Amino acid sequence: MLGNQPSLTLYFLPLLQRFWPGFVPGQYRAHLVAKQWQTADMLQLTFQVSGRWPGFVPGQHLLLTLYHNGRYISRPFSICSALSLWQSRQRIQLCCKINSPGEFTPLLNQLQNGAVVNISQAQGDFYWQQPAAPSVFVAAGSGITPIAAMLLSQRHWLAPATLHYRVRGTENAALLKELKQLADKQPLFTLLLSDSLTEPAEMLQQQLCADLNNKQFYLCGPQTFMQQLRNTLSRHGVPAEHIKQEQFGLALPAATTDLSSTNNLLLSANFIRAGISTAVMLNSQYSLLQSAEQHNLAPRFGCRMGVCFQCVCDKVSGQVRDIRSGALSGHGAEQIQLCVSQPVTELVIKL
Amino acid sequence: MKLSTEQFNALEHELDSVKQQVQQQLGDADARYIRRVLLVQRLSALSGRVLMVLGFITPWLWLAGVLLLALAKILDNMEIGHNVLHGQYDWMNDPVLHSKRYEWDIACDAGSWQRTHNFEHHTYTNIIGKDRDFGYGLLRLSNDFRWRLRNLWQGGTYLLLSMLFQWGVSYHELAAQRVFAGKKKADRHTQVSDSELKKAFFGKGARQLVKDYVFFPLIAGPMWLWVLCGNLLANLIRNLWTSTVIFCGHFTKEVYAFDAKECEGESRGQWYYRQMLGSSNFTGPTWLHILTGHLSCQIEHHLYPDIPARHYPAMAKQVHAIAAKYGIPYNTGSFVKQYSTVFGRIMRYSLPGGAKAVKAL
Repeated sequence: MLGNQPSLTLYFLPLLQRFWPGFVPGQYRAHLVAKQWQTADMLQLTFQVSGRWPGFVPGQHLLLTLYHNGRYISRPFSICSALSLWQSRQRIQLCCKINSPGEFTPLLNQLQNGAVVNISQAQGDFYWQQPAAPSVFVAAGSGITPIAAMLLSQRHWLAPATLHYRVRGTENAALLKELKQLADKQPLFTLLLSDSLTEPAEMLQQQLCADLNNKQFYLCGPQTFMQQLRNTLSRHGVPAEHIKQEQFGLALPAATTDLSSTNNLLLSANFIRAGISTAVMLNSQYSLLQSAEQHNLAPRFGCRMGVCFQCVCDKVSGQVRDIRSGALSGHGAEQIQLCVSQPVTELVIKL
Repeated sequence: MKLSTEQFNALEHELDSVKQQVQQQLGDADARYIRRVLLVQRLSALSGRVLMVLGFITPWLWLAGVLLLALAKILDNMEIGHNVLHGQYDWMNDPVLHSKRYEWDIACDAGSWQRTHNFEHHTYTNIIGKDRDFGYGLLRLSNDFRWRLRNLWQGGTYLLLSMLFQWGVSYHELAAQRVFAGKKKADRHTQVSDSELKKAFFGKGARQLVKDYVFFPLIAGPMWLWVLCGNLLANLIRNLWTSTVIFCGHFTKEVYAFDAKECEGESRGQWYYRQMLGSSNFTGPTWLHILTGHLSCQIEHHLYPDIPARHYPAMAKQVHAIAAKYGIPYNTGSFVKQYSTVFGRIMRYSLPGGAKAVKAL
């Protein structure tokens, strides 16, 4: 009440940031201590994390926030290092795929050792729930990161676990050295590398379906890859509760593509921002977040993949589709996440 | 309309490109600037409140405290609050400086302000009957309104409105929706229920009153009366200043008003045109621009409400040149000159007759 802000910390933030540059309430400081290329485009970052950080369950992710050219931008990354590294030395590792035309990941590459970033608490419910039951892990590409953390963190092995690690060319397999060491040391763990350049996806599916007997499945990779696997497993009678998955990335066109050059359906929409309504044409292939940004409406955002709920805003009317699941919304007033919503009908949205 | 359709399109294009140039360079410099203003605001608020209590040493300290608190409130309302609530800094993704989160040190609830000011006033600027900011439903500012007896003493009404300006702003939406008195207007589009309006009005108002007139006097102990009077004075200074600045934006002598029918189905270029005719600037040094929240560049603010305001003075040069090119009147002058025409207008239309502000477009 005294400062008209939600908390006095936020009221005093400009002062606090003078003495403590980079301080953001609700976030934790992490110092970059090492940078190492795992593959040609996967960069492994090692951070020394503030002692206040509450820790994580292997498989969870966090939001990494950078301050760049006057703005805070965040993306989610899974922690790929073992729990013991955090417990013994307060360090965590992230494995990030660097997309050079992207907005965020090239900045990670530019970070120097000693650089300070902000991280959120660990979040997400993708973790090794039943280490006592036989488990099958399937990782594709950068989807290896949370699964590597689960496997490398396991101390007492109780049941056999197999990892099917699908990569495009074995030279692109990140964290392979650590996983091979684990396979050599731990007889219950089997590592199977599957190269998508030489082995078709059906082969992997056949291998998986050869022995389904009461196994737990943990999937992590691109959306289409996981959807196919999930369908195959369900067809072979694996109950849904035996399949756990974590989604990486959204299948969206790059926002730099010229809107007018594509032949996609255009829908009109009204974005009401700070009380002022702006009429725009939306391409139905883009997320509402991308469209709003292309029209310079500067909506609030965070992870851009439906995780952090920073871009939630009020839809007044119209229907949207959830990009992840394809589910259609209602037509009335409700809250939606801009980053995972595509327009289906004409829309009115309060940013 | 004095311009042809092609000219309106060309005008739209030229004004858009002025905006784009600035948008492309938004970044660190803007973030540093607004954080610095925020820091000065916080420091003057804190030191002002402390100095007021130290008034027992010498009343001059108390006076300095009052002036610092008034400065803090003016900066918070104008350069920070008004501009942040317009979404000028949303691109920063900052936990404080965001139009959805910011709440300011004034009786008016931020959400209510966004509906009446950002939406109603900025969309329908100076359209008689639609923009309730043209006279605030209290003052007769042109012969487009019928003269009533109460207009005879509107000089006094104006003085009262200025002194209590934050409450006028706060009550603005409730008056429009006829929450407490009057017959509901059928054509008014309601976004928020009356009970929510009341809750926001009383909730925010009470918080402000408790803060300035109960909490801070209480913790000042024996100096409670000094602090209470100091807070009252600081609020009064802020009210008079904001009211004066805002009246200079749309009620100067040469300003235009519009008829609702003329503006139906207007293009973006025509909207720009109307914003330029319906607003007026005043000139002055940088510190004056900052204290007005750059509303001294009201024309640029109305053309580009979501561009960080520190760019307005530079944009004004370009906009002025564009206006000259198309023969559009560009209303500017010194602060004293502009304000004297505002005051003249209020006094003139307290009497019957006079000219209309609606001029055929």
